[in-house]
Amino acid sequence: MLSLLIFSPLLFGFIIAVMPSRLRTSFKYITLLATLLQLGLSIWIYLNFKTGAAFGGINHEAQFQFMQKLPWINLDLGTLGKMQVDYFVGIDGLSVTLLVMTSLVMVIAALASWEITSNLKGFFILFLILDMAVTGVFCSLDFFLFYIFYELMLLPLYFLIGMWGGARREYAAIKFFLYTLFGSVFMLLVMVGLYLSVTDPATGNHTFNMVQMMNPANYQHGSVFSVLSHQTIFGFSARSVGFVVLFIAFAIKVPVVPLHTWLPDAHVEAPTPVSIILAGILLKIGGYGIIRICLGIFPEVATMGAYWLGLLGVISILYGAMNALAQQDLKRMIAYSSVSHMGFVLLGIASQTTEGISGAVMQMVSHGFLSTMLFFLVGIIYNRVHDRSINNFKGLATIMPKYTLFVMIAFFASLGLPGFSAFIGEAFSLTGAFKSSSTNGLLPYWLSVCGSLGILLGAAYFLWTLQRMFFGEVNLKGGAVWQTALSDLNLREKLTLIPIAIMVLVLGLMPSLVFSKINDSVLALISYLQTK
Amino acid sequence: METNLITDTSTTNLTLLAVLLPLLAFVINFLLPKHQFKWAGLVATSAIFLSLIFSAIIFSRVWESSHILHQHLVWFTIGDTHVYAGLLLNNLSVLMLLLVNLIALPVHIYSIAYMKGDENYNRYFAYLSFFCFSMLALVVVDNLVLFYSFWELVGFSSYLLIGFWYKKEKAVKANKKAFIMNRIGDIGLLTAIIIIFTQFHTFDIEQLFSAKGLVVETILKNGLWGALPASYQYLACAGIFMAVFAKSAQFPLHTWLPDAMEGPTAVSALIHAATMVAAGVFLLGRVYSFFTPSELDILAIIGCFTSFMAATIALTQNDLKRILAYSTISQLGYMVMAMGVGAYSQSLFHLVTHAFFKCLLFLVAGMVIHQMQHLKEEQQLDTDPQNIQNMGGLGKQMPLLFLVAIIGGLALVGFPFTSGFLSKDSILVQTASWSWAKGGAFYLVPIVSVITTLLTAFYVTRLIVKVFLGKSKLGIDLANQHPAKINLAYSIPLVFLAACSLFLVFSLNPFSYLNSWVIKGFSLYPVGEGNIWLPIVISLLSTLFVVFAYLIYSRPNKNIIPQQGFFYKLSYHEWYFDLYYQKLIVTPILLLANGLFWFDRVIIDGFVNLLAKITITLSKVAAWTDRNIVDGFLNFIVALAEAIANFTRKFQGGKVQYYLFSMLVILLVLFILKTVF
Repeated sequence: MLSLLIFSPLLFGFIIAVMPSRLRTSFKYITLLATLLQLGLSIWIYLNFKTGAAFGGINHEAQFQFMQKLPWINLDLGTLGKMQVDYFVGIDGLSVTLLVMTSLVMVIAALASWEITSNLKGFFILFLILDMAVTGVFCSLDFFLFYIFYELMLLPLYFLIGMWGGARREYAAIKFFLYTLFGSVFMLLVMVGLYLSVTDPATGNHTFNMVQMMNPANYQHGSVFSVLSHQTIFGFSARSVGFVVLFIAFAIKVPVVPLHTWLPDAHVEAPTPVSIILAGILLKIGGYGIIRICLGIFPEVATMGAYWLGLLGVISILYGAMNALAQQDLKRMIAYSSVSHMGFVLLGIASQTTEGISGAVMQMVSHGFLSTMLFFLVGIIYNRVHDRSINNFKGLATIMPKYTLFVMIAFFASLGLPGFSAFIGEAFSLTGAFKSSSTNGLLPYWLSVCGSLGILLGAAYFLWTLQRMFFGEVNLKGGAVWQTALSDLNLREKLTLIPIAIMVLVLGLMPSLVFSKINDSVLALISYLQTK
Repeated sequence: METNLITDTSTTNLTLLAVLLPLLAFVINFLLPKHQFKWAGLVATSAIFLSLIFSAIIFSRVWESSHILHQHLVWFTIGDTHVYAGLLLNNLSVLMLLLVNLIALPVHIYSIAYMKGDENYNRYFAYLSFFCFSMLALVVVDNLVLFYSFWELVGFSSYLLIGFWYKKEKAVKANKKAFIMNRIGDIGLLTAIIIIFTQFHTFDIEQLFSAKGLVVETILKNGLWGALPASYQYLACAGIFMAVFAKSAQFPLHTWLPDAMEGPTAVSALIHAATMVAAGVFLLGRVYSFFTPSELDILAIIGCFTSFMAATIALTQNDLKRILAYSTISQLGYMVMAMGVGAYSQSLFHLVTHAFFKCLLFLVAGMVIHQMQHLKEEQQLDTDPQNIQNMGGLGKQMPLLFLVAIIGGLALVGFPFTSGFLSKDSILVQTASWSWAKGGAFYLVPIVSVITTLLTAFYVTRLIVKVFLGKSKLGIDLANQHPAKINLAYSIPLVFLAACSLFLVFSLNPFSYLNSWVIKGFSLYPVGEGNIWLPIVISLLSTLFVVFAYLIYSRPNKNIIPQQGFFYKLSYHEWYFDLYYQKLIVTPILLLANGLFWFDRVIIDGFVNLLAKITITLSKVAAWTDRNIVDGFLNFIVALAEAIANFTRKFQGGKVQYYLFSMLVILLVLFILKTVF
């Protein structure tokens, strides 16, 4: 089932590849069909996902669902033993909500791709490859497989930004590519180290199985990352180095200040659908990786470093928000707001409390939808007049009332108005962070108090933008030409925006849609973290 | 209030209906097609009318019986914590439920006429219904998460309504300011809720704050608060105070309220005078058992200071609505102070009476502004229709308006036979006895409060005289003008509210607040001794001030009060709060934001780009080395080989002469060598 979910986009990509270019107008419909099919599949998976203490997942291989485990690469390396790489996919509560979110965001991104006019074949093939890769990342339980999907995302993204982007697209694309590669190359080293340290208890071979990496008993005595033998690298504890390296790799994705500067450039230069995928899904891979891999494989280091993670989270929240306040470019403002919102995710994760981690996952799902909506909205105005400088617009509410309505929904939902999903995510991330000081003592309480200032700043930059761009008398830089160009939403745009608006509202009113699925996994994770 | 829990399904259903009907009206009005806009007012008004009937039934069931109705079901589960959604009805919440509806209904009726012809007529009523929904839900919910949610939604609907005329730049700035200042309070409340949750592991208001609740049983001593350090309790208390000060416009978070007057006047009447701003006081009432005595003292002092400050500002303002806004802040200060001195029931009593007469005054102001606007358009004048310096003489033109304005004004001043007399003086009496018990500097609190009352008498008289008496300052003979028609949609709400500003509604005895049903409803909280002399003395003094103000302002075109002094300027510029907030807070934050952006661009990104540059330079060096050294060496060898080859090639040119010549040379060389060695 999961394999179908992962590889169906590839199939459609192949169909597009063999179709003649004169049918290019149909490509977008094929892509849309592919994403819709994927959405259907993921909803089916969501509905059939079983909950209960016996389905916690995390460090119990048997508790994962929709598992598929096939031997993939089995090389006999003589004296080095057998190289064992499995095609091993499966999901638990952490992945399932993110999977549904991913497939819905992909549908939106496909709809946003209507604006692409050049080289359609290439665009949609790359788009579908990317789709496959991100879905694969959320399902992989084998580190090698995870890594392959992880790297496979970069390639299509590089071309998608570099070829269909804005004026400084090449700079942005290469910056994004190198930044991310920098993280993942070192991840490769840790992965190999882990491989050499861990053996599969069943076969006695080294293995890339992530679930088995979570069990200290599976580490070979004296190996680099063994929990018991305290090896060192350059004088530092080997496991700490491993954790930090993996954390940096994922922190670049999240992005965590100060590793965030690829993000504003990449977002601003990328075409709308790619911005949507970047903000909606890619950032979540960072958060997901931190929970699944950093916390899962190096739990005791994560506990030791929790303070620093929380601090980085709060810095991201405040720094991102302050930068957003200073922006003149609408898209850049939203990009920085992403940095701020993802800071809550890190803060929640660092707290290692049920509230915090549930809040973090909720915030990821919520931000997935909201950033999609925000970037789609920016894309609409940019397509109409090819400008998105905040100061060049005034009084848009008068000429584009429906558009303004959706902007207000997106802005208020993002600034954490109760009734929308972001409120639940942020409030519980903060609750978890605060509770941490009195339960497990990982985070001091002022971190949470400082984090809540981010909510205040969020209101400031969103409302200021509303005031400057949308209210007041109409006054556009482009004068009457712009006024005619800035038509209100068309049917496709409405059809795109309404489902997301409903999603963020429904998740805000019924957060149990997410919490009921993730609860067992979060509880399992917490008890795992406590026992180490 | 004994913890006499009942689970009464029909009351629960009625409450749900009362709360959700305005929401339904909001949805209907929102989806109304364009040519059906005219129904919007009717939809919203009938929803609120039904809601009023239901809440009256609920009120009659709960109020006398002292029952507490508490029902909830699981909303969602996070980890092991169940978060519930439910209703909590006690005397406080049913009183608020009834009050909100009682104020909302006249405002809705008034609005049908007042907003007629506005192009966004349906949007107005949609927002108004949404506000009513949030406010009604706020007063009945049973846990802090939901309380916070509706607390923010109330602020949000206020944002929408302040900025209803979104083309007005001032209105848009005002609503942004209101929302952000309220947000400051919100994060305080959020922090407080998080702390309370961390301490007690529940969000349930009943479990936390009731007479035998968790809060009461957790004693604060030896620097510890239960298992947590005492500082948590102080922080939570500060958070709640912030929330109250923001929502109820208390110093230092009061500056949004005067600006909020940019919204439609009917909105100001409902939201920014009677209901939403009272939510802060309501919050205090909900969590009253949380505070320690010294924390309550702080509350009393801040409330007292705010009421005094706002009254001094109201003395010199010229904008009709701004005067009323400051007077609202001042009266809210009384309520907060009353909470601080332990006058729980008096505070809520004043909340109720104030809601009626302040709403009345705002609705009067709305009509006055309409009339001035009408005159302005007819005479093609360039004047501000809200400036009281341009008014005058409206009393003769609109006698009904004049009459109800006087009733409202007297109630605000606290004259005998009005409701204000009962409630305001009940607060003053308790404040006096509170300071008596404390002694020392605490005597200042009742003294300042009495001064505030006198200032109130002064500015109310100034307002009434300038607006209704004398001659029009516009130089128009009003006798020739048609007065604005006061139809039933205007007069019914005005007369109803005026009637509710009289003593009879609250107590049969005009001089004894102890007999008032509102006070009796909160009999759990001590009321203290009644005192008849203090109110009478204050009333006499107030009368003096009314006469004094009348004498000053009824003389045409004379400014007796110097307009240059420090105090005048301080008052006129509203104590310079906005100026200094802008200078000391807004500007530095923006500077910091820009500074951080510079840091981001130049330092962090600069570092990244520097790395890139270094890499590129290094690779250029490598490329140069590769080209010139590594490759150069190879090329050198190639060139050398080539040169040698070229040199030797010449020997095999195929020309006989060369062959002979070289042979000769070689022989010669050999010969020479042989002879020499």
